[in-house]
Amino acid sequence: MYRSQALAIKYFSAAMILFGVMTLFGLVSAYYYLNSDFLFGILPFNIAKIIHINTLVIWLLMGFMGSIYWFLPGELGRETAGIWAAEALFYVFCTAVAVVAVVFIFVQYGGSNEAALWFINQGRKYVEAPRWAALGIVVIMVVFAYNVIGTAVAARQTTGIITVLMIDLIPLILLYLIAFPAISNMSADLFWWWWLVHLWVEATWEVLIGCIMALALMQLLGTSRRIVETWLYIEVALVLGTGILGLGHHYFWIGTPSYWLTIGGFFSALEPLPLLGMVVHAVYDAGAQHMKTTNRPALYWMMAEAFGNFIGAGVWGFMITLPQVNLYAHGTQWTVSHGHFAFWGAYSCGVISVLYLVLQNTRNLAFVDGSLWKWSFAALNLGLVGMTGALLVSGFVQAFVERAIGGSTLNAFISGQENAWFVDGMVARFLLAIVFTGGYVVLVWDVLTLGRRAPAVATVAAAQ
Amino acid sequence: MSGLATLETGLLLGLYALLAGIWGILWALTQLRQAPIIGLLAAAAYGLHTLVALIIILWTPLGFGWKCLIVGSSLVFLALPPMTWRLLQRTHDDERSEHDRESSQHSRRLMARL
Repeated sequence: MYRSQALAIKYFSAAMILFGVMTLFGLVSAYYYLNSDFLFGILPFNIAKIIHINTLVIWLLMGFMGSIYWFLPGELGRETAGIWAAEALFYVFCTAVAVVAVVFIFVQYGGSNEAALWFINQGRKYVEAPRWAALGIVVIMVVFAYNVIGTAVAARQTTGIITVLMIDLIPLILLYLIAFPAISNMSADLFWWWWLVHLWVEATWEVLIGCIMALALMQLLGTSRRIVETWLYIEVALVLGTGILGLGHHYFWIGTPSYWLTIGGFFSALEPLPLLGMVVHAVYDAGAQHMKTTNRPALYWMMAEAFGNFIGAGVWGFMITLPQVNLYAHGTQWTVSHGHFAFWGAYSCGVISVLYLVLQNTRNLAFVDGSLWKWSFAALNLGLVGMTGALLVSGFVQAFVERAIGGSTLNAFISGQENAWFVDGMVARFLLAIVFTGGYVVLVWDVLTLGRRAPAVATVAAAQ
Repeated sequence: MSGLATLETGLLLGLYALLAGIWGILWALTQLRQAPIIGLLAAAAYGLHTLVALIIILWTPLGFGWKCLIVGSSLVFLALPPMTWRLLQRTHDDERSEHDRESSQHSRRLMARL
């Protein structure tokens, strides 16, 4: 095993732990809606939410990095360049994440000064990490880019997938630099902040996961490189074609010119089209292989990725993307519902799929199957779909009662929060979050014990 | 746009995209299974999709341009699964080289020199 692949296992381990932290703080955040006195004076809702969302970003990022560190040496036939730096930075990364979490939980707030921005919280949604930690992330991403590009240079060769990945890493790093400025004009600040948030999630990350899925497909189904690369180019072109100017759907109500209503609405309305193409592709691949594979959980999670991406990002996004609807729906639980489903479908399922591929290789399993992964697959997906359904109901109430009827006044906000449908939606969301958490626990158990059940799995393989 | 119209339009747009997805999946399954019943279900899904598109066009307060977008998207949704499928088949049919069927770790055919 290459050192890069050993590092990948560490990244996956850290990602799984952070997945758990994200789930725990999601559960806590959900409970605040049922009992607003919960942890009063100890841990405010916004801190729990910050940790929930930041760990989401970090666990996915670690999952992506783990995937690339896993596939890269095999793809280019040599050890990853500068692997020592990557190994050292892994521990720095984990330590930094732990320190930031401790500061968020125990310090929580700083003053309105530079010191608070540097050491406590930058105060910008989704990139709240203090400036020193954000600088650390830049260093880690630069080294990550060096690892990929340096390996290709040292190997004196590249592949279509690696070339796409190398090109993608440049905007990935540059866009993160937007996390630093503290612009005092709210509109200008949000304008650029959305470049970071949207263009990471709906452009650079889409390309990154596209590359990872392409590499995984070749390993999982033995799909030929030519086919995988052809489709990677097509899908990346379509996703970027619709996703980049789809950025405009975040510009509707932040003080930008009104032409963004047309641009944002038009391009984001096109976003479901490439996602439908991916779904058809997934059905084709599954049919070509008759759903036969040596790693069933990896295949099923990959299928979940294609379908979840279409439904979560495509269908849920399409509901609220036209400005007429978005006027009432933005910032409600309706949007939260879309965010949960889209992140799950577009990214989380893909990372879990690669995790199972890595486990099969590291534990020398001829065949990966069993019942545990099915339970976790069912509970995680049922919990997630149920949560998004419940959030959708609550979001409808907010859009209708609070925004459209009440005109977004404080009284209307209270009416919306007290509406029985809203409250029931929040209760259902919490209960389904428990189902999701159960699924996570089973997933971890399966991942930890998969090797121990190897003799039984080998027997199944032999029987076939 | 009234509050009720907001909810109705949002829901209809979601249903519109969902039915397009169901149409695409069922159409693809028809190609795999060659089962007429799935083909009928696929046609029914697209029929419902068209019906929802008509409701959006006739009864929602969206502007003319957005309604044109709905019509255009419906046509693309209709053509997308067959087009994607044909392209997939062509790519797979063209794929004859045994060399390319090796795993990613050994395939070198498309590796270009830097």
